This record gives sequence, C-alpha cells and structure tokens, in this order.
Amino acid sequence: MYGWIWRHLPGNAIVRALISLVLIAGVVFLLFQYVFPWAEPLLPFNDVTVDGA
Amino acid sequence: MRSVRVVVRSLSELCITVGVLLVLFVVYLLYWTGIRADSAADSEISRLQDRWSRAGATAEHGARRPAAYRDGAAFAVMYIPRFGRDWARPVLQNTEPGTLRRGLGHYSRTARLGERGNFAVAGHRRTHGDPFRDFPALRPGDPVVVSDGRTWYTYTLTRRPYRTLPDDTGVVAPLPAPLDPDAAPFRRPGRYLTLTTCDPEWGSSHRLIAWARLDATRPVASGKPAALRR
Repeated sequence: MYGWIWRHLPGNAIVRALISLVLIAGVVFLLFQYVFPWAEPLLPFNDVTVDGA
Repeated sequence: MRSVRVVVRSLSELCITVGVLLVLFVVYLLYWTGIRADSAADSEISRLQDRWSRAGATAEHGARRPAAYRDGAAFAVMYIPRFGRDWARPVLQNTEPGTLRRGLGHYSRTARLGERGNFAVAGHRRTHGDPFRDFPALRPGDPVVVSDGRTWYTYTLTRRPYRTLPDDTGVVAPLPAPLDPDAAPFRRPGRYLTLTTCDPEWGSSHRLIAWARLDATRPVASGKPAALRR
C-alpha cells in the first residue's frame, strides 16, 4: 500500500518525501479532530456520572 | 512466490498501521485531550470573569435576577484547595460528553448552585485534563468553593469519598439516598453539593461520590473566602 502510494506520487524523491509528510500530517489531523473524539466515548473513561441522572 | 511476497508485505504494512494508530490514540488520550481541556477550561473561566466584571456595575444597584443556566454553557467556577492551590474549573450546564470535555458538568435536573436541594456536579477522573484525578484524597472538612460571579459558596465535605455502583442515582437526590443506607450523609433536607467521578481511575465499573454541605456564603465584593486565602 505504502509502496503503491510512493510510486504514484509525482516528482523526484525529495518532492515525494515532502508530499508524504503533508499527507501524514493531514491523516493525523483527521484522526485527532474527528476519528479519535468519535471513538473515545466507546472507552470507559467517560463514564463519570451516575446513570439516568 | 510473488503473490506470497505481496501477502506478507500487505500484512506487515497493516500491522504497522494498526500499531501506529494505537500509539497515536494513546497520545491523543493522555496528552491531547488534556491540552485541549486545559485551554477550554481557561477560556471558559476568563469568559465568565469578563461577563461578571461587565455585569458587576449593574449588580451594585440591587439583586440581579438569577439567569437560567444555558445548556452546555459555563455558569460558575469551582475551587477545591485539596486538589491544589491553582485548581479551578468551570462548571457547565449538563453532563454530556461534549460538555465534560470543557470542564465540570452540572446534572441539569439537580438544584441550582446554593439553593435548597442537591447541586450535583460530575467531572473526569482521567483524560480531558484529569480534573478529578485526586478525588480519593478528599477528606471530611475539605472546602469546596464555588463562585457564580456574585457570591462565593463554601461547601464543606462531610465524609470520605463513597464508592458505589453506576446505577446508584440516589446519590444525586435532593436528600442524597445512596444504595447503602449507612452511607447516607444527611438526615434532613438542606443545601448540599455532590461530586461524582469514575472509579477505578481508568475504568467505569464504579463511581466515587463526595458530599458537602453549604457552610457559608459571601458576596464576591467582600473578597475571597477564608478557604481560598490559606
């Protein structure tokens, strides 16, 4: 998968490395902003109230 | 042979990806939620203080009518000296996950701050700034001070934190009535405060409860209460 992405990026190795960094940063941003906040309530650390109140 | 290599490579890439994801998630829980919660709490507190200082001038001319608590909005600041001199957290209306990310949450159905009944507040033990991390360190006699911009309310804890089950909703009743009758902190109705958080620290099998009774009120204009000046 990563090899496939690397081969399909344009430019020489340096350009590809820079684009890869941007892609990684974008993925981390999406994870921290949307995916993890969504996944977090599925874990038990959020249950701080007594139920139904 | 080539197809075997592709399968092995894909499998290892998948494993590495999952591993990196898990590490990132732990970083998110342990650090990122704390950073976000601290900055959210600070901005809620400074917004409240701005609002209070703007409203202060009009308050001099007689009692303002207490405003209704707006869902998800901060309306008070809580201080618990036992958790540290600088420990201050905003109290927001309702106990939704999104609200508890920004501070402590007031159980909407319980009494208003300082009123007769039970002013019940929930907070995170771990993650999101760990506001109630030191909950088990609370002791009888510890002050819990809450300000709504006009009045300092000083509550005093009555007993060590009580450990109970998540469905023990009686603990936030106007006259707290926990499942274990021996744990009941008060005999007659009054002005009470209840704090709830989870127990164990990283689990959700139980809840920790602390009860306090309103001991003193003091207009904000006359300065901090004794409990915060120590």
